[in-house]
Amino acid sequence: MNEMTPPKTERAEALKGLGSSRKRVEDARFTQGKGNYVDDLKLPGMLFGDFVRSPYAHARVKSINADKAKALPGVVAVLTAADLAPLNLHWMPTLAGDKQMVLADGKVLFQGQEVAFVVAEDRYIAADAVELVEVEYEELPVVVDPFKAQADDAPVLREDLEGKMEGAHGARRHHNHIFTWEQGDKDATESVLGSADVVAEEMIYYHRTHPCPLETCGCVASMDKVNGKLTVHGTFQAPHAVRTVASLISGIAEHNIRIISPDIGGGFGNKVGVYPGYICSIVASIVTGVPVKWIEDRMENLMATAFARDYWMQGKISATKDGKITGLWCHTTADHGAFDACADPSKFPAGFMNICTGSYDIPTAYLAVDGVYTNKAPGGVAYRCSFRVTEAAYFIERMIEVLAIKLGMDAAELRAKNFIRKDQFPYQSALGWEYDSGDYHTAWEKALKAVDYDGLRKEQAERVEAFKRGETRKLLGIGLTHFTEIVGAGPVKNCDILGLGMFDSCEIRIHPTGSAIARLGTISQGQGHATTFAQILASEIGLPADDITIEEGDTDTAPYGLGTYGSRSTPVAGAATAMAGRKIRAKAQMIAAYLLEVHDDDVEWDVDRFVVKGAPERFKTMKEIAFASYNQAIPGVEPGLEAVSYYDPPNMTYPFGAYICVMEIDADTGEHEIRQFYALDDCGTRINPMIIEGQVHGGATEGYAIAMGQEIAYDDMGNVKTGTLMDFFLPTAWETPHYTTDHTVTPSPHHPIGAKGVGESPNVGSVPAFSNAVHDAFRAFGLVQSHMPHDQWRIWTVARDLGLHG
Amino acid sequence: MEMHDEVRIEAPRARVYEALNDPAVLKQCIPGCEELIQHSDTELEVKVVLKIGPVKAKFGGNVTLDKSDAPERFSLAGEGSGGVAGFAKGGADVELVEDGDATLLRYTAKADVGGKIAQLGSRLIVSTANRLAGQFFKTFKETVEMENAATT
Repeated sequence: MNEMTPPKTERAEALKGLGSSRKRVEDARFTQGKGNYVDDLKLPGMLFGDFVRSPYAHARVKSINADKAKALPGVVAVLTAADLAPLNLHWMPTLAGDKQMVLADGKVLFQGQEVAFVVAEDRYIAADAVELVEVEYEELPVVVDPFKAQADDAPVLREDLEGKMEGAHGARRHHNHIFTWEQGDKDATESVLGSADVVAEEMIYYHRTHPCPLETCGCVASMDKVNGKLTVHGTFQAPHAVRTVASLISGIAEHNIRIISPDIGGGFGNKVGVYPGYICSIVASIVTGVPVKWIEDRMENLMATAFARDYWMQGKISATKDGKITGLWCHTTADHGAFDACADPSKFPAGFMNICTGSYDIPTAYLAVDGVYTNKAPGGVAYRCSFRVTEAAYFIERMIEVLAIKLGMDAAELRAKNFIRKDQFPYQSALGWEYDSGDYHTAWEKALKAVDYDGLRKEQAERVEAFKRGETRKLLGIGLTHFTEIVGAGPVKNCDILGLGMFDSCEIRIHPTGSAIARLGTISQGQGHATTFAQILASEIGLPADDITIEEGDTDTAPYGLGTYGSRSTPVAGAATAMAGRKIRAKAQMIAAYLLEVHDDDVEWDVDRFVVKGAPERFKTMKEIAFASYNQAIPGVEPGLEAVSYYDPPNMTYPFGAYICVMEIDADTGEHEIRQFYALDDCGTRINPMIIEGQVHGGATEGYAIAMGQEIAYDDMGNVKTGTLMDFFLPTAWETPHYTTDHTVTPSPHHPIGAKGVGESPNVGSVPAFSNAVHDAFRAFGLVQSHMPHDQWRIWTVARDLGLHG
Repeated sequence: MEMHDEVRIEAPRARVYEALNDPAVLKQCIPGCEELIQHSDTELEVKVVLKIGPVKAKFGGNVTLDKSDAPERFSLAGEGSGGVAGFAKGGADVELVEDGDATLLRYTAKADVGGKIAQLGSRLIVSTANRLAGQFFKTFKETVEMENAATT
């Protein structure tokens, strides 16, 4: 019998568990065009909704006349704020403790704001009817600059808040001010800065951009008037939270609401928030008694649903003469647009911006963030990042470069000199976090060696000389970044959204023949959950990943969880999966011992089976145990093999990475070419290396777009100047650079399998790498700071202003 | 956005000024003008079909003329709405300088557009506006010169 048992390694490989580059099970349907997205859903009698939107960024709505629209054949209803007011749904709560107009109530505050909702028999009629709704506006002065918005004589944007000097996050000191959030020790930091050898100061702007998922936001709301049940299929990154919030604001009992997130074509934070389209579709379905679909178009997506970033970060960093950092000070002006609709944990109005000390051992630090209203779209979502971690990483990685210039020091050396050392973990940061683990020096040295850093610097110096001699017009930039993220929100003790604790869950049922289904509180938007969570489970319970179905997104069947964003799926739901798997294994152990007629303690786990200690020829495989669990009467053990785990993480996880970008820049045309991009990620235990590589490619490409051209730009009138893909930069295969990926492994000490999450690292790490490369190319000619995005025009302008055009 | 240019028109200043105030001439010269109603000596209502990039929309608006410095100067201001396509507002200062038998027409026009037309056509707006202004004065010059030639 023993000879027939394949060796451990062979059996482990057959499971396709942790570490296997198993192909994505989702791709069979996605690559054949067989995905099932919300717009694929067609319900009998379904109507279509479309918005009348404001062309003005700030105006009073004097009248709305929908008579002509209603007279158009096929139009069923036109909803305005006046129709929603009796239901108290003309305003809705935002995730940040503010409130937002569902439909314009007296005035509009940003271009593209929802003014009326037309419901018609098809989307073409709805679009025609939108043109027939006559809205009379009276223009008001527009403020798109968050600094001008705080002037004494700035127009009052939020008249609903006039006179209210207390907001959701403390005192407001101006009619367009939302909150001030302070972390760290202000006095101590100012005193350190005041007596430091060297202080570098700079304004770092991380411009407004947009997650722009390929699939825009949308939903199908369906109210069944017979059984009183509301079903909403939609592009929701957090279906359970949507259910609870929908119940709280509509008064419909939570068991009568079913939220279903089908396949989602990319989220990147854009699909975390609650939008007027969802509310209007639900109301329209309740009113008409038939399903109502709303799908936004690309322009609507870019100009109205959830932008990202828009942080003005004034920084000061101090150091000794030889480059030991002594203090960091940051004041951020956060442009939140017309309503504060950021999707951050409630106690963190600026997200985890206080991770801005980065990878460095900075003994004293202070951060203050002021949120400000402007006439721009609301949002402030975490675009492929964990709640403002991208802003924090960009800030510190730019400040390090600025300090290196001030010190006249090599930026790689300055970083290495200040990294938190391996023996300092767990590390308490000056701004309040406990970094769980890290080994920055090892990763950094590996990265520098991989790109031949010294060789590159030599080449760069030669290039500068050649440029000065007029032999070339191309400059060479070496963009360095060492980032530390904080992901996996989060411990319920300090992480909640609208009071909902940020735990997550997994429920497993083993079928009698030894296959399984596991359901989670998260929802994949392209991350490959059906592939990777099955792998975690395969290693825990010894059943092949191929025999495990993963299901998410239906609140009637999945256990409660807070969804997928902020790289929380693996750190939180992945941990729940492992813990639930361990509960299965514990019961399986009792069953195996019974079947083998030995004591529980006399069997031990061996990849896919329990064996009798000292007698490995005697074993029961998980398949055998699964069958017995259902079909054999075992004294004291109830039938079946199921488990559920709700996991409240003890801490966040802290993935990190070292990214290096080598860029050629043409001083005369502003064109750039990415010669090399090296990305080393340490995400702890690696579940599926192929998926990690895919995540890094995707995230770095988004980072490339953000750094090199992508933005949501406004003119002084509040017009969105980049509302289409003609103007909003999305890289295609033509522009996308080639990436080299690498890794180190520093497992998280508190996560059941040591995993840390990786989906967002490449967006967080690549933006400063690209941007630092641009800056570095011009360092020899005196450039200190130039704001993103570094499109061709802006780079050309930098060269011109430095006098390089001769 | 601002536009300025100079056109030489082979007609006396009084004639040019008169033409600038003639609704029939204006209607003929304004690109895409479908309707032009004179409400008073200084107030006009205009309906124009405008095409900027992919957006084509009918704009309705009111124009107010300022004739206080006639006949050396002439200015106008107006605003219009194109429904979901957006809105436009602006003005122009026209200076008429006698140059022998001819007239030099110098203009400075200022225009702001908002809404979908501004978003979709942002990269096209300046060039489109310049083209429209150029087209107006070209037609205007031809019309006035033709009429002038016919009557002299």
